[in-house]
Amino acid sequence: MTKDVPMVEEITDFEVLEVALRELAIEKGLFTAEEHRRYTEFAEGMEPAPASRLVAKAWTDPAFKKRALEDPIAASLEVGINWLNPTGFGTPSDFTALHILEDTPTLHHVVTCTLCSCYPRPILGNSPEWYRTPNYRRRIVRTPRQVLAEFGLFLSPEIEIRVEDSNSKHRFLVLPVRPAGTEGWSEEQLAAIVTRDCMIGVALPKPGVTTNVVRTVHHATEPITGHSTGK
Amino acid sequence: MKQAVERPGPTNTDIMGDPVSEMRPALHRLRDWVYPDQIDHALYRAYMKQSHDVGGEPDAPGIFEEKEEEKWELNTFVDCEVLGWRGIWTSEERRRIGNVDIGRTMYCGLPYYGRWLWAIIRILMEKQHITLGELVERVHSVQERAAGRTTQNPLEAEPRSTGNEKTVVRNRHHKDAVGKGDPQCFKGMAGKARFSVGDKVRVRELPTILYSRTQEYLRGAQGTIARVTYESPAPEDEAFNREDKKPEWFYIVRFKMTDIWKSYAGPSQDTLQSEIVERWLEPHST
Repeated sequence: MTKDVPMVEEITDFEVLEVALRELAIEKGLFTAEEHRRYTEFAEGMEPAPASRLVAKAWTDPAFKKRALEDPIAASLEVGINWLNPTGFGTPSDFTALHILEDTPTLHHVVTCTLCSCYPRPILGNSPEWYRTPNYRRRIVRTPRQVLAEFGLFLSPEIEIRVEDSNSKHRFLVLPVRPAGTEGWSEEQLAAIVTRDCMIGVALPKPGVTTNVVRTVHHATEPITGHSTGK
Repeated sequence: MKQAVERPGPTNTDIMGDPVSEMRPALHRLRDWVYPDQIDHALYRAYMKQSHDVGGEPDAPGIFEEKEEEKWELNTFVDCEVLGWRGIWTSEERRRIGNVDIGRTMYCGLPYYGRWLWAIIRILMEKQHITLGELVERVHSVQERAAGRTTQNPLEAEPRSTGNEKTVVRNRHHKDAVGKGDPQCFKGMAGKARFSVGDKVRVRELPTILYSRTQEYLRGAQGTIARVTYESPAPEDEAFNREDKKPEWFYIVRFKMTDIWKSYAGPSQDTLQSEIVERWLEPHST
Protein backbone atom coordinates (compact mmCIF):
# COMPACT_ATOMS: atom_id res chain seq x y z
CA MET A 1 0.00 0.00 0.00
CA THR A 2 1.76 3.20 -1.11
CA LYS A 3 1.37 6.45 0.75
CA ASP A 4 1.01 8.77 -2.28
CA VAL A 5 -2.29 7.32 -3.44
CA PRO A 6 -5.12 8.81 -1.37
CA MET A 7 -7.25 5.97 -0.10
CA VAL A 8 -10.95 6.50 0.23
CA GLU A 9 -11.39 5.90 3.91
CA GLU A 10 -14.05 3.59 5.22
CA ILE A 11 -15.25 5.71 8.11
CA THR A 12 -16.81 3.40 10.66
CA ASP A 13 -19.89 4.07 12.72
CA PHE A 14 -17.70 3.99 15.81
CA GLU A 15 -15.46 6.72 14.46
CA VAL A 16 -18.44 8.93 13.62
CA LEU A 17 -20.00 8.35 17.01
CA GLU A 18 -16.77 9.13 18.85
CA VAL A 19 -16.31 12.41 16.99
CA ALA A 20 -19.94 13.42 17.59
CA LEU A 21 -19.73 12.68 21.31
CA ARG A 22 -16.40 14.47 21.73
CA GLU A 23 -17.73 17.56 19.95
CA LEU A 24 -20.82 17.66 22.16
CA ALA A 25 -18.78 17.09 25.34
CA ILE A 26 -16.56 20.05 24.48
CA GLU A 27 -19.51 22.26 23.49
CA LYS A 28 -21.26 21.46 26.78
CA GLY A 29 -18.14 22.29 28.79
CA LEU A 30 -17.71 18.75 30.17
CA PHE A 31 -14.04 18.90 29.19
CA THR A 32 -11.89 20.97 26.86
CA ALA A 33 -10.19 20.03 23.61
CA GLU A 34 -6.91 20.89 25.33
CA GLU A 35 -7.55 18.39 28.12
CA HIS A 36 -8.32 15.71 25.56
CA ARG A 37 -5.11 16.53 23.72
CA ARG A 38 -3.06 16.44 26.93
CA TYR A 39 -4.43 13.10 28.00
CA THR A 40 -3.85 11.65 24.52
CA GLU A 41 -0.25 12.78 24.67
CA PHE A 42 0.11 11.13 28.08
CA ALA A 43 -1.48 7.87 26.85
CA GLU A 44 0.68 7.77 23.73
CA GLY A 45 3.80 8.46 25.76
CA MET A 46 3.29 5.59 28.18
CA GLU A 47 6.12 3.08 28.14
CA PRO A 48 5.21 -0.45 27.07
CA ALA A 49 6.30 -2.16 30.30
CA PRO A 50 8.28 -0.02 32.74
CA ALA A 51 7.56 -2.62 35.43
CA SER A 52 10.37 -4.72 33.97
CA ARG A 53 12.76 -2.25 35.62
CA LEU A 54 10.95 -2.67 38.92
CA VAL A 55 11.31 -6.45 38.74
CA ALA A 56 14.99 -6.24 37.77
CA LYS A 57 15.67 -3.85 40.63
CA ALA A 58 13.83 -6.10 43.08
CA TRP A 59 15.97 -9.04 41.93
CA THR A 60 19.22 -7.19 42.57
CA ASP A 61 18.38 -5.02 45.59
CA PRO A 62 16.77 -6.80 48.57
CA ALA A 63 15.99 -3.53 50.35
CA PHE A 64 14.14 -2.27 47.28
CA LYS A 65 12.25 -5.55 46.99
CA LYS A 66 11.07 -5.14 50.56
CA ARG A 67 9.90 -1.60 49.85
CA ALA A 68 8.22 -2.73 46.62
CA LEU A 69 6.25 -5.44 48.40
CA GLU A 70 5.24 -3.10 51.23
CA ASP A 71 4.41 0.02 49.21
CA PRO A 72 4.44 -0.67 45.46
CA ILE A 73 3.06 2.78 44.55
CA ALA A 74 6.00 4.48 46.29
CA ALA A 75 8.44 1.93 44.85
CA SER A 76 7.09 2.67 41.35
CA LEU A 77 8.37 6.23 41.76
CA GLU A 78 11.89 4.85 42.14
CA VAL A 79 11.66 3.41 38.62
CA GLY A 80 10.12 6.60 37.23
CA ILE A 81 6.40 5.86 37.40
CA ASN A 82 4.15 8.29 39.25
CA TRP A 83 0.75 6.67 39.66
CA LEU A 84 -0.91 10.06 40.34
CA ASN A 85 -0.19 11.24 36.77
CA PRO A 86 -1.67 12.76 34.72
CA THR A 87 -4.76 13.98 36.66
CA GLY A 88 -3.36 14.33 40.18
CA PHE A 89 -5.35 11.22 41.12
CA GLY A 90 -4.01 8.84 38.51
CA THR A 91 -5.45 7.35 35.37
CA PRO A 92 -9.10 7.08 36.44
CA SER A 93 -9.70 3.55 35.08
CA ASP A 94 -6.68 2.12 36.81
CA PHE A 95 -7.00 3.58 40.31
CA THR A 96 -3.84 3.95 42.36
CA ALA A 97 -3.52 0.70 44.31
CA LEU A 98 -0.89 -1.82 43.26
CA HIS A 99 -0.13 -5.19 44.79
CA ILE A 100 2.94 -7.18 43.82
CA LEU A 101 2.55 -10.95 43.79
CA GLU A 102 5.85 -12.59 44.60
CA ASP A 103 6.46 -15.97 43.00
CA THR A 104 8.61 -18.57 44.74
CA PRO A 105 9.99 -21.87 43.46
CA THR A 106 6.77 -23.49 44.68
CA LEU A 107 4.22 -20.74 43.98
CA HIS A 108 3.23 -19.25 40.62
CA HIS A 109 0.80 -16.36 40.19
CA VAL A 110 -1.25 -15.50 37.12
CA VAL A 111 -3.48 -12.44 36.80
CA THR A 112 -6.86 -11.96 35.18
CA CYS A 113 -9.93 -9.78 35.58
CA THR A 114 -13.01 -11.89 35.03
CA LEU A 115 -15.29 -8.83 35.14
CA CYS A 116 -13.56 -6.50 32.68
CA SER A 117 -9.88 -5.96 31.97
CA CYS A 118 -8.38 -4.47 35.15
CA TYR A 119 -4.67 -4.17 34.49
CA PRO A 120 -1.80 -2.09 35.96
CA ARG A 121 -1.69 0.17 32.89
CA PRO A 122 0.64 2.87 34.30
CA ILE A 123 3.38 0.31 34.93
CA LEU A 124 2.58 -2.39 32.38
CA GLY A 125 1.22 -0.39 29.42
CA ASN A 126 -1.99 -1.27 27.63
CA SER A 127 -3.42 -4.69 28.26
CA PRO A 128 -3.04 -7.16 25.41
CA GLU A 129 -6.18 -7.99 23.45
CA TRP A 130 -6.22 -11.63 24.59
CA TYR A 131 -6.25 -10.49 28.24
CA ARG A 132 -9.54 -8.68 27.55
CA THR A 133 -11.29 -11.58 25.86
CA PRO A 134 -14.07 -13.49 27.57
CA ASN A 135 -12.27 -16.69 26.54
CA TYR A 136 -9.19 -16.01 28.72
CA ARG A 137 -11.33 -14.61 31.54
CA ARG A 138 -13.78 -17.51 31.54
CA ARG A 139 -11.18 -20.26 31.53
CA ILE A 140 -8.13 -19.07 33.47
CA VAL A 141 -10.05 -19.12 36.76
CA ARG A 142 -11.38 -22.62 36.16
CA THR A 143 -8.68 -24.52 34.30
CA PRO A 144 -5.54 -22.44 34.83
CA ARG A 145 -3.06 -25.21 34.09
CA GLN A 146 -4.65 -25.96 30.73
CA VAL A 147 -4.76 -22.26 29.77
CA LEU A 148 -1.16 -21.69 30.82
CA ALA A 149 -0.18 -24.72 28.72
CA GLU A 150 -1.80 -22.99 25.73
CA PHE A 151 0.61 -20.11 26.39
CA GLY A 152 3.46 -22.63 26.35
CA LEU A 153 3.87 -22.63 30.11
CA PHE A 154 3.82 -26.11 31.62
CA LEU A 155 4.05 -26.08 35.41
CA SER A 156 4.81 -29.13 37.49
CA PRO A 157 2.06 -30.35 39.82
CA GLU A 158 4.26 -29.57 42.84
CA ILE A 159 3.99 -25.86 42.10
CA GLU A 160 0.93 -24.15 43.55
CA ILE A 161 -0.87 -22.01 40.99
CA ARG A 162 -2.54 -18.96 42.44
CA VAL A 163 -4.90 -17.15 40.10
CA GLU A 164 -5.48 -13.51 41.02
CA ASP A 165 -8.89 -12.33 39.86
CA SER A 166 -8.34 -8.58 39.81
CA ASN A 167 -11.96 -7.52 40.23
CA SER A 168 -11.82 -4.36 42.34
CA LYS A 169 -9.47 -1.39 42.71
CA HIS A 170 -6.17 -3.17 43.24
CA ARG A 171 -3.96 -3.79 40.25
CA PHE A 172 -1.58 -6.74 40.27
CA LEU A 173 1.92 -7.39 39.02
CA VAL A 174 3.71 -10.73 39.16
CA LEU A 175 7.26 -10.68 40.48
CA PRO A 176 8.72 -13.83 38.90
CA VAL A 177 11.56 -15.87 40.34
CA ARG A 178 14.91 -14.74 38.98
CA PRO A 179 15.99 -17.46 36.56
CA ALA A 180 19.24 -19.39 36.81
CA GLY A 181 21.94 -18.32 34.40
CA THR A 182 21.58 -14.61 35.16
CA GLU A 183 24.22 -14.41 37.88
CA GLY A 184 26.15 -11.16 37.76
CA TRP A 185 23.79 -9.54 35.24
CA SER A 186 23.15 -5.80 35.40
CA GLU A 187 19.67 -4.42 36.10
CA GLU A 188 19.44 -3.45 32.45
CA GLN A 189 20.26 -6.96 31.25
CA LEU A 190 17.75 -8.43 33.68
CA ALA A 191 15.00 -5.98 32.73
CA ALA A 192 15.33 -7.08 29.10
CA ILE A 193 14.13 -10.62 29.91
CA VAL A 194 11.23 -9.49 32.09
CA THR A 195 8.52 -9.32 29.46
CA ARG A 196 4.94 -8.18 29.85
CA ASP A 197 3.75 -11.80 29.70
CA CYS A 198 6.06 -12.72 32.61
CA MET A 199 4.48 -10.01 34.73
CA ILE A 200 0.93 -11.18 33.92
CA GLY A 201 2.09 -14.68 34.77
CA VAL A 202 1.57 -16.48 31.46
CA ALA A 203 5.32 -16.87 30.85
CA LEU A 204 8.52 -17.27 32.85
CA PRO A 205 11.65 -15.17 32.30
CA LYS A 206 14.45 -16.99 30.50
CA PRO A 207 17.95 -15.85 29.59
CA GLY A 208 17.98 -14.99 25.90
CA VAL A 209 14.22 -14.42 25.64
CA THR A 210 13.45 -10.70 25.47
CA THR A 211 10.06 -10.65 23.75
CA ASN A 212 6.64 -12.10 24.36
CA VAL A 213 5.81 -15.25 22.47
CA VAL A 214 5.05 -14.13 18.93
CA ARG A 215 1.32 -14.29 18.40
CA THR A 216 -0.82 -13.34 15.45
CA VAL A 217 -1.62 -9.63 15.39
CA HIS A 218 -4.98 -8.29 14.36
CA HIS A 219 -4.01 -5.17 12.43
CA ALA A 220 -5.91 -1.89 12.69
CA THR A 221 -7.44 -0.12 9.70
CA GLU A 222 -6.15 3.15 11.03
CA PRO A 223 -3.59 2.32 13.73
CA ILE A 224 -2.45 4.87 16.26
CA THR A 225 1.13 5.93 15.76
CA GLY A 226 3.82 4.17 17.68
CA HIS A 227 1.44 1.64 19.12
CA SER A 228 3.22 -1.30 20.57
CA THR A 229 1.56 -4.68 20.74
CA GLY A 230 3.62 -5.40 23.78
CA LYS A 231 7.24 -5.91 24.63
CA MET B 1 -32.34 -16.75 58.76
CA LYS B 2 -29.09 -17.48 56.99
CA GLN B 3 -28.25 -21.13 57.07
CA ALA B 4 -25.17 -22.88 55.90
CA VAL B 5 -26.24 -24.94 52.95
CA GLU B 6 -24.45 -27.48 50.81
CA ARG B 7 -22.96 -25.47 48.00
CA PRO B 8 -24.31 -26.70 44.69
CA GLY B 9 -21.06 -26.27 42.79
CA PRO B 10 -20.89 -27.10 39.10
CA THR B 11 -19.74 -30.56 38.12
CA ASN B 12 -18.32 -31.73 34.84
CA THR B 13 -21.60 -33.20 33.76
CA ASP B 14 -23.84 -30.19 34.31
CA ILE B 15 -21.63 -27.55 32.68
CA MET B 16 -23.30 -27.53 29.30
CA GLY B 17 -26.82 -27.85 30.63
CA ASP B 18 -27.01 -24.93 33.01
CA PRO B 19 -29.25 -22.03 31.97
CA VAL B 20 -26.46 -19.48 32.25
CA SER B 21 -24.57 -21.22 29.45
CA GLU B 22 -27.68 -21.18 27.31
CA MET B 23 -27.78 -17.41 27.75
CA ARG B 24 -24.40 -16.95 26.14
CA PRO B 25 -23.99 -14.99 23.97
CA ALA B 26 -27.69 -14.55 23.29
CA LEU B 27 -30.96 -16.34 23.75
CA HIS B 28 -30.83 -19.81 22.29
CA ARG B 29 -34.49 -20.43 22.90
CA LEU B 30 -36.91 -20.37 20.04
CA ARG B 31 -39.65 -19.22 22.33
CA ASP B 32 -39.61 -15.44 22.87
CA TRP B 33 -42.91 -15.07 24.68
CA VAL B 34 -42.88 -16.61 28.09
CA TYR B 35 -45.59 -17.06 30.73
CA PRO B 36 -44.81 -16.30 34.38
CA ASP B 37 -45.18 -19.92 35.45
CA GLN B 38 -42.51 -20.99 32.96
CA ILE B 39 -39.64 -19.19 34.66
CA ASP B 40 -38.14 -21.23 37.47
CA HIS B 41 -35.45 -19.92 39.81
CA ALA B 42 -32.53 -21.22 37.73
CA LEU B 43 -33.80 -19.57 34.59
CA TYR B 44 -34.62 -16.36 36.47
CA ARG B 45 -31.01 -16.30 37.71
CA ALA B 46 -29.76 -16.78 34.18
CA TYR B 47 -31.71 -13.73 33.03
CA MET B 48 -30.50 -11.66 35.98
CA LYS B 49 -26.89 -12.69 35.49
CA GLN B 50 -24.64 -9.77 34.65
CA SER B 51 -22.99 -9.93 31.26
CA HIS B 52 -19.54 -8.99 32.59
CA ASP B 53 -19.47 -11.87 35.07
CA VAL B 54 -17.95 -14.54 32.81
CA GLY B 55 -15.55 -16.32 35.20
CA GLY B 56 -15.93 -20.07 34.89
CA GLU B 57 -18.35 -20.06 31.96
CA PRO B 58 -17.64 -23.06 29.75
CA ASP B 59 -15.62 -22.29 26.64
CA ALA B 60 -13.35 -24.09 24.24
CA PRO B 61 -9.68 -23.12 23.87
CA GLY B 62 -9.33 -19.95 21.82
CA ILE B 63 -6.46 -18.30 20.00
CA PHE B 64 -4.75 -15.63 22.05
CA GLU B 65 -3.98 -12.71 19.74
CA GLU B 66 -2.42 -9.28 19.98
CA LYS B 67 -4.17 -6.32 18.36
CA GLU B 68 -3.25 -2.90 17.09
CA GLU B 69 -5.40 -0.07 18.33
CA GLU B 70 -7.56 2.02 15.99
CA LYS B 71 -7.38 5.79 16.34
CA TRP B 72 -11.01 5.95 17.38
CA GLU B 73 -10.29 3.41 20.10
CA LEU B 74 -7.59 5.58 21.62
CA ASN B 75 -9.85 8.63 21.31
CA THR B 76 -12.66 6.74 23.03
CA PHE B 77 -10.40 5.62 25.86
CA VAL B 78 -9.21 9.20 26.31
CA ASP B 79 -12.80 10.56 26.22
CA CYS B 80 -13.70 8.18 29.03
CA GLU B 81 -10.65 9.00 31.10
CA VAL B 82 -11.11 12.74 30.69
CA LEU B 83 -14.77 12.43 31.70
CA GLY B 84 -13.47 10.77 34.89
CA TRP B 85 -10.77 13.40 35.37
CA ARG B 86 -13.37 16.17 35.13
CA GLY B 87 -15.87 14.53 37.47
CA ILE B 88 -18.60 13.56 35.01
CA TRP B 89 -18.44 9.93 36.14
CA THR B 90 -16.38 7.46 38.11
CA SER B 91 -14.85 4.39 36.49
CA GLU B 92 -17.37 2.28 38.37
CA GLU B 93 -20.24 4.07 36.65
CA ARG B 94 -18.53 3.50 33.31
CA ARG B 95 -18.01 -0.19 34.03
CA ARG B 96 -21.61 -0.65 35.13
CA ILE B 97 -22.95 0.95 31.97
CA GLY B 98 -20.51 -0.45 29.39
CA ASN B 99 -20.10 -3.94 30.81
CA VAL B 100 -23.49 -4.75 32.32
CA ASP B 101 -26.26 -2.33 31.38
CA ILE B 102 -25.33 -2.93 27.75
CA GLY B 103 -26.82 -6.43 27.87
CA ARG B 104 -25.41 -9.78 26.91
CA THR B 105 -25.90 -9.63 23.14
CA MET B 106 -24.04 -6.35 22.70
CA TYR B 107 -21.52 -7.30 25.40
CA CYS B 108 -20.42 -10.26 23.34
CA GLY B 109 -21.04 -8.61 19.97
CA LEU B 110 -19.43 -5.16 20.03
CA PRO B 111 -15.69 -4.52 20.05
CA TYR B 112 -14.20 -3.71 23.44
CA TYR B 113 -14.01 0.04 22.91
CA GLY B 114 -17.38 0.01 21.13
CA ARG B 115 -18.83 -0.68 24.57
CA TRP B 116 -16.86 2.19 26.10
CA LEU B 117 -18.39 4.47 23.45
CA TRP B 118 -21.87 3.21 24.20
CA ALA B 119 -21.24 4.00 27.88
CA ILE B 120 -20.45 7.62 26.98
CA ILE B 121 -23.80 7.96 25.22
CA ARG B 122 -25.64 6.57 28.24
CA ILE B 123 -23.89 8.71 30.83
CA LEU B 124 -24.30 11.95 28.87
CA MET B 125 -27.99 11.14 28.43
CA GLU B 126 -28.66 9.89 31.98
CA LYS B 127 -27.01 12.91 33.56
CA GLN B 128 -28.81 15.22 31.14
CA HIS B 129 -25.70 16.78 29.62
CA ILE B 130 -27.11 16.27 26.12
CA THR B 131 -30.49 15.50 24.64
CA LEU B 132 -31.12 12.61 22.30
CA GLY B 133 -32.21 15.07 19.64
CA GLU B 134 -28.84 16.83 19.82
CA LEU B 135 -26.96 13.54 19.58
CA VAL B 136 -28.97 12.16 16.68
CA GLU B 137 -28.58 15.40 14.69
CA ARG B 138 -24.86 15.57 15.43
CA VAL B 139 -24.18 11.98 14.44
CA HIS B 140 -26.12 12.61 11.24
CA SER B 141 -24.09 15.71 10.43
CA VAL B 142 -20.77 13.99 11.23
CA GLN B 143 -21.81 11.17 8.88
CA GLU B 144 -22.29 13.75 6.14
CA ARG B 145 -18.89 15.31 6.88
CA ALA B 146 -17.33 11.87 6.82
CA ALA B 147 -18.58 10.99 3.35
CA GLY B 148 -15.74 10.84 0.85
CA ARG B 149 -12.98 11.45 3.38
CA THR B 150 -9.58 10.05 2.50
CA THR B 151 -6.60 9.03 4.59
CA GLN B 152 -5.06 12.40 3.70
CA ASN B 153 -8.14 14.29 4.76
CA PRO B 154 -9.27 12.45 7.87
CA LEU B 155 -12.34 13.05 9.94
CA GLU B 156 -11.57 15.43 12.82
CA ALA B 157 -13.64 16.70 15.73
CA GLU B 158 -14.83 20.22 15.00
CA PRO B 159 -16.67 21.53 18.04
CA ARG B 160 -18.82 24.54 17.14
CA SER B 161 -18.28 26.30 20.46
CA THR B 162 -16.70 25.91 23.88
CA GLY B 163 -19.09 25.35 26.76
CA ASN B 164 -19.10 27.02 30.14
CA GLU B 165 -17.30 24.54 32.38
CA LYS B 166 -18.47 26.26 35.55
CA THR B 167 -22.15 25.43 35.11
CA VAL B 168 -21.57 21.68 34.66
CA VAL B 169 -22.63 19.38 37.52
CA ARG B 170 -19.62 17.29 38.58
CA ASN B 171 -18.93 14.71 41.28
CA ARG B 172 -17.07 15.44 44.53
CA HIS B 173 -14.64 12.62 43.90
CA HIS B 174 -12.60 14.26 41.13
CA LYS B 175 -11.59 16.98 43.60
CA ASP B 176 -11.32 14.89 46.78
CA ALA B 177 -8.94 12.41 45.14
CA VAL B 178 -6.40 14.96 43.87
CA GLY B 179 -3.00 14.49 45.46
CA LYS B 180 -4.13 11.30 47.19
CA GLY B 181 -5.38 8.89 44.57
CA ASP B 182 -8.24 6.43 44.63
CA PRO B 183 -8.84 4.47 46.93
CA GLN B 184 -6.44 6.44 49.20
CA CYS B 185 -8.93 9.34 49.25
CA PHE B 186 -11.37 7.18 51.27
CA LYS B 187 -8.86 6.30 53.98
CA GLY B 188 -10.23 6.45 57.52
CA MET B 189 -13.88 6.58 56.47
CA ALA B 190 -15.00 2.98 56.92
CA GLY B 191 -14.49 2.55 60.65
CA LYS B 192 -13.13 -0.67 62.06
CA ALA B 193 -12.54 -3.59 59.70
CA ARG B 194 -14.76 -6.54 60.56
CA PHE B 195 -12.25 -9.19 59.45
CA SER B 196 -8.52 -9.74 59.95
CA VAL B 197 -5.89 -11.69 58.06
CA GLY B 198 -6.41 -15.42 58.59
CA ASP B 199 -10.14 -15.18 59.33
CA LYS B 200 -12.31 -17.83 57.70
CA VAL B 201 -15.08 -16.27 55.66
CA ARG B 202 -17.80 -17.26 53.27
CA VAL B 203 -18.97 -15.22 50.29
CA ARG B 204 -22.63 -14.44 50.83
CA GLU B 205 -25.18 -15.70 48.34
CA LEU B 206 -27.04 -12.47 47.82
CA PRO B 207 -29.34 -12.08 44.86
CA THR B 208 -27.94 -10.59 41.68
CA ILE B 209 -29.69 -7.34 40.83
CA LEU B 210 -28.30 -4.78 38.37
CA TYR B 211 -24.66 -4.55 39.46
CA SER B 212 -22.01 -6.17 41.57
CA ARG B 213 -18.31 -6.96 41.41
CA THR B 214 -18.66 -10.09 43.54
CA GLN B 215 -18.41 -12.84 40.99
CA GLU B 216 -21.10 -15.52 40.85
CA TYR B 217 -18.52 -18.30 40.75
CA LEU B 218 -17.40 -17.26 44.24
CA ARG B 219 -20.85 -16.99 45.80
CA GLY B 220 -21.16 -19.36 48.72
CA ALA B 221 -17.50 -20.35 48.61
CA GLN B 222 -15.45 -20.41 51.78
CA GLY B 223 -12.04 -18.79 51.91
CA THR B 224 -9.49 -17.07 54.11
CA ILE B 225 -8.70 -13.37 54.44
CA ALA B 226 -5.25 -12.95 52.87
CA ARG B 227 -5.05 -9.19 53.19
CA VAL B 228 -7.11 -6.29 54.51
CA THR B 229 -6.69 -3.93 51.59
CA TYR B 230 -8.35 -0.49 51.57
CA GLU B 231 -11.51 1.48 52.20
CA SER B 232 -13.71 2.47 49.28
CA PRO B 233 -17.38 2.83 48.50
CA ALA B 234 -18.93 -0.53 47.61
CA PRO B 235 -19.25 -1.06 43.85
CA GLU B 236 -23.03 -1.20 44.35
CA ASP B 237 -22.88 2.43 45.57
CA GLU B 238 -20.12 3.85 43.44
CA ALA B 239 -21.61 2.48 40.23
CA PHE B 240 -24.69 4.61 40.87
CA ASN B 241 -22.83 7.74 41.97
CA ARG B 242 -23.94 7.45 45.61
CA GLU B 243 -21.31 9.72 47.07
CA ASP B 244 -23.47 10.02 50.19
CA LYS B 245 -22.80 6.40 51.17
CA LYS B 246 -20.18 5.27 53.66
CA PRO B 247 -17.06 3.52 52.31
CA GLU B 248 -16.41 -0.08 53.35
CA TRP B 249 -13.36 -2.29 53.87
CA PHE B 250 -12.16 -4.51 51.06
CA TYR B 251 -10.29 -7.79 51.50
CA ILE B 252 -8.20 -10.05 49.32
CA VAL B 253 -9.70 -13.45 50.00
CA ARG B 254 -7.90 -16.68 49.19
CA PHE B 255 -9.87 -19.72 48.06
CA LYS B 256 -8.81 -23.26 47.36
CA MET B 257 -9.66 -24.14 43.77
CA THR B 258 -11.29 -27.32 44.99
CA ASP B 259 -13.59 -25.21 47.20
CA ILE B 260 -14.76 -23.21 44.17
CA TRP B 261 -15.02 -25.91 41.50
CA LYS B 262 -16.21 -29.35 42.47
CA SER B 263 -14.80 -30.62 39.20
CA TYR B 264 -11.34 -29.06 39.67
CA ALA B 265 -8.91 -31.63 38.35
CA GLY B 266 -5.64 -29.87 39.18
CA PRO B 267 -3.49 -30.35 42.27
CA SER B 268 -5.33 -29.70 45.53
CA GLN B 269 -2.94 -26.92 46.59
CA ASP B 270 -3.98 -24.60 43.73
CA THR B 271 -5.64 -21.39 44.88
CA LEU B 272 -7.43 -18.28 43.65
CA GLN B 273 -7.64 -14.83 45.17
CA SER B 274 -10.10 -12.02 44.64
CA GLU B 275 -10.86 -8.70 46.29
CA ILE B 276 -14.24 -8.64 48.00
CA VAL B 277 -16.09 -5.81 49.71
CA GLU B 278 -17.07 -6.38 53.34
CA ARG B 279 -20.86 -6.54 52.80
CA TRP B 280 -20.40 -9.68 50.68
CA LEU B 281 -18.52 -11.62 53.39
CA GLU B 282 -19.73 -13.45 56.46
CA PRO B 283 -17.75 -15.30 59.16
CA HIS B 284 -17.37 -18.99 58.61
CA SER B 285 -15.97 -21.53 60.99
CA THR B 286 -15.11 -25.09 60.13
